[in-house]
Amino acid sequence: MSFLIAQSLVNGVILGTLYLMMAIGFTLVFGVMRIVNFAHGEFYMMGAFAALIGVTWLGLPYALTLALTVAFAILLGALVERVVFRPFRSDELSGMIASLGLAMILQNGALLLFGPDPQAFPSMVSGVFRIGEMIIPKSRSLALGVGVVILVGFYVFLMHTRFGRGLRALVQDQEVAALYGVRPEIVYPLGLGLGIALAAAAGGLMAPLFGVSPFIGATPLLKAFIVVILGGLGSIPGAALAAMLLGLIESFTSSFVSASAADIVTFALVVGVLLVRPSGILGRGES
Amino acid sequence: MKHRAILGAAALLTLLAGTALAQEKTLKIGALVTQSGAGASWGNGMKRAAELAAADANEDGGLDVDGTKYKVEVIAYDDGYKANEAVTAANRLVFEDKVKYIIGTVGSAPILAIQPITEKAGVITMTLGFTSQALSPDKSYTFRPNPTTGEVAQPQIDWLVKNKDIKTVGALFPNDETGEAIAKDIGAAYKNAGAEMTATEFFERNRVDFIPLLTRIVAQGVDAIELDGNSPVTAGQIVQQARDIGFDGVIIRTGGPATQEIVNVAGEDATEGMYVHSAYDPNVETAAAYERRYVDTYGDAMNGFSPFFYDGTKMLLKAIQESGTVDDTKAVKTALENIHDYKGVLGTLNWTGKDTYGIAHQLDSPFYIAKVEGGKEVIVARCTTAGCE
Repeated sequence: MSFLIAQSLVNGVILGTLYLMMAIGFTLVFGVMRIVNFAHGEFYMMGAFAALIGVTWLGLPYALTLALTVAFAILLGALVERVVFRPFRSDELSGMIASLGLAMILQNGALLLFGPDPQAFPSMVSGVFRIGEMIIPKSRSLALGVGVVILVGFYVFLMHTRFGRGLRALVQDQEVAALYGVRPEIVYPLGLGLGIALAAAAGGLMAPLFGVSPFIGATPLLKAFIVVILGGLGSIPGAALAAMLLGLIESFTSSFVSASAADIVTFALVVGVLLVRPSGILGRGES
Repeated sequence: MKHRAILGAAALLTLLAGTALAQEKTLKIGALVTQSGAGASWGNGMKRAAELAAADANEDGGLDVDGTKYKVEVIAYDDGYKANEAVTAANRLVFEDKVKYIIGTVGSAPILAIQPITEKAGVITMTLGFTSQALSPDKSYTFRPNPTTGEVAQPQIDWLVKNKDIKTVGALFPNDETGEAIAKDIGAAYKNAGAEMTATEFFERNRVDFIPLLTRIVAQGVDAIELDGNSPVTAGQIVQQARDIGFDGVIIRTGGPATQEIVNVAGEDATEGMYVHSAYDPNVETAAAYERRYVDTYGDAMNGFSPFFYDGTKMLLKAIQESGTVDDTKAVKTALENIHDYKGVLGTLNWTGKDTYGIAHQLDSPFYIAKVEGGKEVIVARCTTAGCE
């Protein structure tokens, strides 16, 4: 029994970190753009394909591929902001529909380019770490480690750089931020690019674990959605808390009850939180 | 002047040729298959099988039916493995495109959903759907050109339990009608063979993280993990993640050829030593030639179900020729039922299933148990419904 508890704890933390990477990008895009970005899962998918192209087609090292994926995603995000989302900046509903359309275009584009079949992604590492009875797959440790590094880097960037402060100011109050010299025409596209880059990085990290196909974006999008709703739309600490909570709940319920029970508990929690705190655990009420 | 006459004659000839072309008749065959989502590799294998069979017929100027040449054309629709989308597509095929023959569907729920339309309209369907309810005497226009778990499970499991000394088995199934049915059948098959399915988990079809479930299964110390009932992608993820958490027992896939896709997802290391159901023997030259043709034409690895649907479509076209009609599907159906000892790419094929389903619309073909070595299937036992050796 103690083995199952310890193992579920480890599984839950790894899962939580993976969810967090998806959710932070999602909540950032919402915070910056006020758009529920349904195409977020497709950027995860594109990140996975970018990693696949880098590693298996071009033969680049995994680390370099991930870095290139992030850079490529930031540029793509900036472009998407300019072309798709900018016209809908003050129109949440139309922006949401546009993001749904974008998701379909990206998914079907990938289907045309790569076909429906899952693509082989070589394992980056194999084997397990054993701590007493506990087993930690090396592949997940790698994803966890890199994920934590990316998240810490992102946090430092957001809290301690001029651009990060500008971005946060813009999230809080767009007009006042603009008065203080934050330039929305630069910060908006880069903010969206950063959010999308996090999704793409998550895709690149999880590709060796969960495989690559045009359809892999749906599940991470749903998880990001749950995390963000639980934590509070736009709240990064809320997302962190909710991601860990979701990872641990899924892991413990799956290991001790059943997989279907995990889904029931997760959604019951979402409903419960929304009833008690409609803005999420750490979310601010809409002003 | 002379030049003009020649030009005029040439123009006249071109016009005549054009008219002749316009008069060429077309035989439309629907491909109602899954082209997106988890079942897409099966669906594409089926659609392409129909296309290749159509290409064969068109090579000699079309299918010769009672002296008239028909160009065979495949019209494909995607059902996304969903019953409601399959019904929409079936309505389009039957009432707008006016097809009389449909290759599909991939899934069990979709075939059960479209049968009220196709059976009433007398449209012949060739389904992959594993459900036993797909075939019955009152659904006489439905044929199944591939063996299902019902045909292959017991002989294979008997052989594996005996030869690999398996006593306890863990398994994961999708949490739906298909998964529940297969869990029951496979559980009974292991029991008959003298083993026990001690750990069973059900999950939602879109799940990608199996580590919590596998942790529970592996913690119970099972000898083997069974993958039957899972789509190729999901099966690959289960294999990879089971090896990730240090499971070193036997991994078995009893039904549904999907080895190439599983290796694609899980990698060669994780799949090494896995035992799989194999639908065809690459040592049979005609089967190997079909696979080469498939790969050359489409540039993708071939799904193991594809040759069944190639043979199935060829049998259908043969039945159309033998009945001498493209419109009277009742006559075509009878001609199809009467095909015996058909020499397909898979070997000698016959219809069976009278005892199990009440109607002999189930293809009887040899099958194999293969061990995965270096990402490829190596046949270790040859089977019939009577047993493997």
